[in-house]
Amino acid sequence: MKRTQIRRRAVAAAAGLTAVVLAACGPEVSSDAESGAGDTGPADGTLAAPDTDAPAGEITIWDRSGDLYEVFDGVIERFTERYPDIVVHHEAVDIDTKLPNTLIAGADVPDGVFLDDAKVAGLSDHFYDLSAVLEPYLDDIAAQKVDVNTVGGRIYGVPWDLNPGLLYYRADILEEVGIDPASIETYDDLFAAAEQIKAARPDAAPIHLEKEPFLSQLWLEMFASQLGTSLADENGELRLDSPEYRQILGWLDEVNKAGLGTRAEYLGPADLAALESGQQVFVPWAIWWDFAPQQLLPQTTGLWRAMPLPAWTEGGARSGAMGGSSFVIPRDAENPELAWLFYEFLVFDPEGFQAVYGPNAIYPDGLNTSVPSYAPAADPATPLFGPLDALGGQDLWPVAIEAGEQIPGGTPIPQWWAGAVDYLGDNLQRMFDGELTPEQVIAESTEQIQTNLVDRAS
Amino acid sequence: MAVSVIPVRRRDRRRPALGSHVFLIVLTAAFLAPVVWAVLSSLKEPASIITDPLGFDPGTSTLGNYRAMFEDVPIASGFLNTAIVLVLKGGLTLFFAPLAGFAFAKYRFAGQNVIFGAVLLTLMLPTIVLVVPLLLQMRELGWVNTYQALVLPGAVDAFAIFWMRQVIAAVPDELLDAARVDGCGEFRIFVSIVLPVIRPGLAGLAVLTVMNIYNDFVWPVVVTSRESMQTLQVVLATLAQNITGNRIGADFATVWGELLAASSIALIPLLVVFVLLQRHFINGILAGSVKG
Amino acid sequence: MTSTEMRERTPAAPARRRRRRPSGRRLAPYVFVLPFVALFLAFSVYPLIYTFRLSFTAWSGSGPARWVGWDNYTYLLGSDAFWSSLGNSAVLWLLIVPVQVVVALIAAVLLNNAKLRMRGFYRTVALVPFVTPLVAMAQIWIVVFDSDYGAVNRLLGAVGLPEIDWLTSTVWAKPTLALLFLWKTTGFAIVILLSGLQSIPASVYEAAELDGASRTRQLVSITVLLVRRVVLFLVVMQTLAVFQMFAEPYVVTAGGPYGSTTTAGLYLYEHLGRSDLGTGSANSFLLVALVMLVSLLFVRLLRERD
Repeated sequence: MKRTQIRRRAVAAAAGLTAVVLAACGPEVSSDAESGAGDTGPADGTLAAPDTDAPAGEITIWDRSGDLYEVFDGVIERFTERYPDIVVHHEAVDIDTKLPNTLIAGADVPDGVFLDDAKVAGLSDHFYDLSAVLEPYLDDIAAQKVDVNTVGGRIYGVPWDLNPGLLYYRADILEEVGIDPASIETYDDLFAAAEQIKAARPDAAPIHLEKEPFLSQLWLEMFASQLGTSLADENGELRLDSPEYRQILGWLDEVNKAGLGTRAEYLGPADLAALESGQQVFVPWAIWWDFAPQQLLPQTTGLWRAMPLPAWTEGGARSGAMGGSSFVIPRDAENPELAWLFYEFLVFDPEGFQAVYGPNAIYPDGLNTSVPSYAPAADPATPLFGPLDALGGQDLWPVAIEAGEQIPGGTPIPQWWAGAVDYLGDNLQRMFDGELTPEQVIAESTEQIQTNLVDRAS
Repeated sequence: MAVSVIPVRRRDRRRPALGSHVFLIVLTAAFLAPVVWAVLSSLKEPASIITDPLGFDPGTSTLGNYRAMFEDVPIASGFLNTAIVLVLKGGLTLFFAPLAGFAFAKYRFAGQNVIFGAVLLTLMLPTIVLVVPLLLQMRELGWVNTYQALVLPGAVDAFAIFWMRQVIAAVPDELLDAARVDGCGEFRIFVSIVLPVIRPGLAGLAVLTVMNIYNDFVWPVVVTSRESMQTLQVVLATLAQNITGNRIGADFATVWGELLAASSIALIPLLVVFVLLQRHFINGILAGSVKG
Repeated sequence: MTSTEMRERTPAAPARRRRRRPSGRRLAPYVFVLPFVALFLAFSVYPLIYTFRLSFTAWSGSGPARWVGWDNYTYLLGSDAFWSSLGNSAVLWLLIVPVQVVVALIAAVLLNNAKLRMRGFYRTVALVPFVTPLVAMAQIWIVVFDSDYGAVNRLLGAVGLPEIDWLTSTVWAKPTLALLFLWKTTGFAIVILLSGLQSIPASVYEAAELDGASRTRQLVSITVLLVRRVVLFLVVMQTLAVFQMFAEPYVVTAGGPYGSTTTAGLYLYEHLGRSDLGTGSANSFLLVALVMLVSLLFVRLLRERD
């Protein structure tokens, strides 16, 4: 008898232990199977501005290493002059690889992070809702930037830079061949100009065609943005299967098939070689491409110029947005309010945005790889950065500001945007490989994105 | 492969045919080429790494890539962290794996098969499948970015136990019984009889363990987000980002030069240890692996 | 096997001695395996249960998780990406394991000849790749196999062969990664096989020679037969290693081009980057099941051949 009792007790103990272990392992599971994962009450996760006159504490700010890190370092100096009791730890981090792990691990989480717009929505569960603190500024922020930071009616990033697409071109070659840049008003004109150059210079493949899947999808979205569309609408419905995308992909395919394009990875060695040699003449890209003639193209610096993108239809918008970044504040931040103060200073305070875009050690004439998305900072008449020697002394500020004003709104970025690169980004490259037609790119990507991303996101 | 078909009396008498040498020399060249190329190229002017990847002129060799690399890459802290993890984790494995192996080889105890089954299970369980839950577990423990997180999961390696069981099984029982007659406790037997006897196998295990820990990648990548806690392998994985981040507008050749310098530096410690200890290591593996 | 012999012999030890330290002798093995067991429970069992529970939820790592039942499993089993990650690992296995076994076996047989000159040198050099840090070599691979400026293509060009897009074409990316793996681990395979060969007594070969077996037939029929356990051991170890292959594609190709080098391990890791922990956990469990299945298969093979 005793033995069975003991055994029974042992079984009960084991079962109990298992139950305890099971319950202790893992996150709290919501009982309501239909409620959304990100569905936490509004009180939780909304950031409020600090209510003290003398804010004090320490914050850790992550920025991507490189030129912008140096630029923001200068801003931090000004910020700490304004708020002497706030200590800012500024770290240069490979954000794309480090941030997701860090957010999940919940340890040593920074108070503020510089993040690609394309990635804000995907990680928004981990960030503060900034709608309340941004409220006073919303009317002055470019619509496109608000759209890309909005998920389910809440804003998860402090919108920073606006990145209008421009057409960079080799002024010397156009002059040599006898093309007036102003005559390139539509993509058909661009095609014709490329043919003309190719006829005069047989080695040329004048138009840059992006080879890296992520960037090529971002680039495709720039063209789409010109037409006022993007991968998904504000309800998250996929809208790739549309006349707009058909037109864009068809044009790209034609350029490629006609031998008018150089397929290369953005500023990779092959790309740089083709840019220096005159093989590439036109680079339709976001404003930030101007980094290349300033730093990476010693032989042809000064020969490049920028103009608005051609339009898809006569009289259509002459620019679209490509890329851009915002600042997010993780929910596990120690001092989220202080981080907000910093970004408020950086983005909306004249001293802050002048420090960002004005002359600094890296950009002696001011930071010119983007323009502000905050209207008071983006005044065509009061440039924050000066003319660029790398563009032959061209004054890029008004060109970019005017292009920025043309960017249509209504182009939100869905949460799964970055994940779509495995499908749309890759399929676009397969089209350039000659494996897929534009129709197939649309059909296959739509099907893949719908089943793998859209259907699983909700 | 050329193999003579003429039968000979004793295989030991046979001198290997020319074909054997050709095969081995080709293999040797293939084994050495990448390392030699990387080290030599790291000593070249950056531009010539790209323009003339196959040439090497000792006259123009330079340490410039190394100097620049030390400025751009936090390699010193990577080395330090790896060294700390090596000592702690290696020490745990080298002591507790033979101890467990001893228990499995020389004792019979209730639950032995179940526990040995756990060893085999661990052996088969790929590290990567546990990365997600382990990271969440570290979060609960507050261990993210700590040495204990880098050291404890995977310490007392299952393969090491498996191997030590094999090695210790070959130790004659008479030796242990004799010690017991002399009144030795079980732990004393392990420390003063077993460990000295299996020294060659232990040396092999030591090198293997050092290799494994030095090369450990996926777990350190996940569990260290703070740069000051990153191990050498993690630092090496983001070389290009580190270099271009610190040297704005650096051309391609410069990045490659520094990348090769960092990779070469990372090669050297283990190569030196290996060359010094290779006899023990090879004999250790030969002594310890499964017999036919 | 020797260990079982030992185990059978131990209890037969004289009873007198056992009585002298009964508790010490009985408790000792438990104490000795305790560190392993403790770590096993803490860092294998607990996370396994954790993943299992998580695999039935949708969770981003923040806030409460949502119970989704078998959704993650049905999604993965119906997903092209999941199957192609397994397919990529399988192709890598095919490119690696058979080649390695053949090359290592030949080299081991040659090195087993005591009359071979420079035997020690060959043996030492074979292990040089094994002691190099993997991530450093992966970085070097990127440079050496670059299609525009890499040394390998320069070499091919110099001897008049066409240049190859080693890392940027779907055809060549897998073989190039396989080459890195082969380069890194074949030396170790040679030494493992050598240890098996050295345990074959010379008398076996002598007996064969008396029968008039030719050298080649000796190699095939005797050597291979006698070292098959070691070969099988090697195959099991390398299968597990190829299956876990992570650092090579992570550093060298980031899984590209077009996901052609996204191995089972890398695909699993990608869920983490997307903050999709539920699907990641289900993926973990499917891989665990697969590894167990393959391992059982090998165990059966080992038994049948005995």
